[in-house]
Amino acid sequence: MFDLEKSIADWRKQMLAAGIKTPVPLEELEIHLREEIERQMKSGLEEREAFTSAVQKIGQARALKTEFKKAGIPVEMRSVKLVGIACGAVAGFFSLWILFVLLTVHEANLAERALGLVGITSIMLSWRYGYRFLPAISSWPARAAIEAACCLASVGGMVLFIKIIPYFLGQIPVGQILVSSLWTWAATAILGGMAYGLEKAARKANEQYV
Amino acid sequence: MIRKELVAASAEPMILALLAKGESYGYAIIQEVKARSGGKLNWTDGMLYPVLHRMEHRGLIKSRWGESETGRKRKYYSLKKDGKTAMAKHHEQWSLVHSVLAGLRKEQYV
Repeated sequence: MFDLEKSIADWRKQMLAAGIKTPVPLEELEIHLREEIERQMKSGLEEREAFTSAVQKIGQARALKTEFKKAGIPVEMRSVKLVGIACGAVAGFFSLWILFVLLTVHEANLAERALGLVGITSIMLSWRYGYRFLPAISSWPARAAIEAACCLASVGGMVLFIKIIPYFLGQIPVGQILVSSLWTWAATAILGGMAYGLEKAARKANEQYV
Repeated sequence: MIRKELVAASAEPMILALLAKGESYGYAIIQEVKARSGGKLNWTDGMLYPVLHRMEHRGLIKSRWGESETGRKRKYYSLKKDGKTAMAKHHEQWSLVHSVLAGLRKEQYV
């Protein structure tokens, strides 16, 4: 006895094995498959024949995978995302290092140490949950432009910090210098992380209805 | 049957022109192309989706998930401003190719 649901489940497995991703685009392909089966059955075909014909029409999993790969995120886009991650990682590392100094030097008071911890917590929270508050921009050229601007601002922040900090050394207390340095790096790390967050927001928006 | 190279080349302008009439979804797009070409423009059904996704990444079209009258989930696509511009360009180029071919053919019969 032919079981349509089992056959569709097997077809899904084949698609997944060939590398077609779920939920997008596999769900979209399955919806199409079901519509075609329904149409074929209405025109008089048996369930099994309708399924076989619909599967044939939708095409081979491997060929589809190749085409979806071509349609994927362009290399330039991935590069921008990687630069963003790198900026975030560098700035995050320096923030952690400053926090370590802040927590160990005698010159820093309790309030300054607490501000340092808040700075690091902000970085962690923005990396983990930031994408939820970012807009889902489906057009990749627009997204790439915004992400590139985030990366540039992040690198700009790092350069500016390195240029400016020597002027303040010896002028203001060590604790304050450390806290302001940590927060500058934190802003840089958050900006770098935004490039990754925008990508995730766009991906999640595409998947949320499936 | 139309050669697959021509089918592939005409996919984007065809989708843009169809979506210019209003939003639509993958299955309906394929059915309409088949009907309008008398079954001669035959796409491998699944191959439409990578094209749609590529066009969406390029900012020509946008998509939203919705439901059919029977409650079935569907992904609807619609044209964006850049898509309209791209459609005008495609139209210009295909018209040029057509007019050159038609002119040459006319000369053969003179």
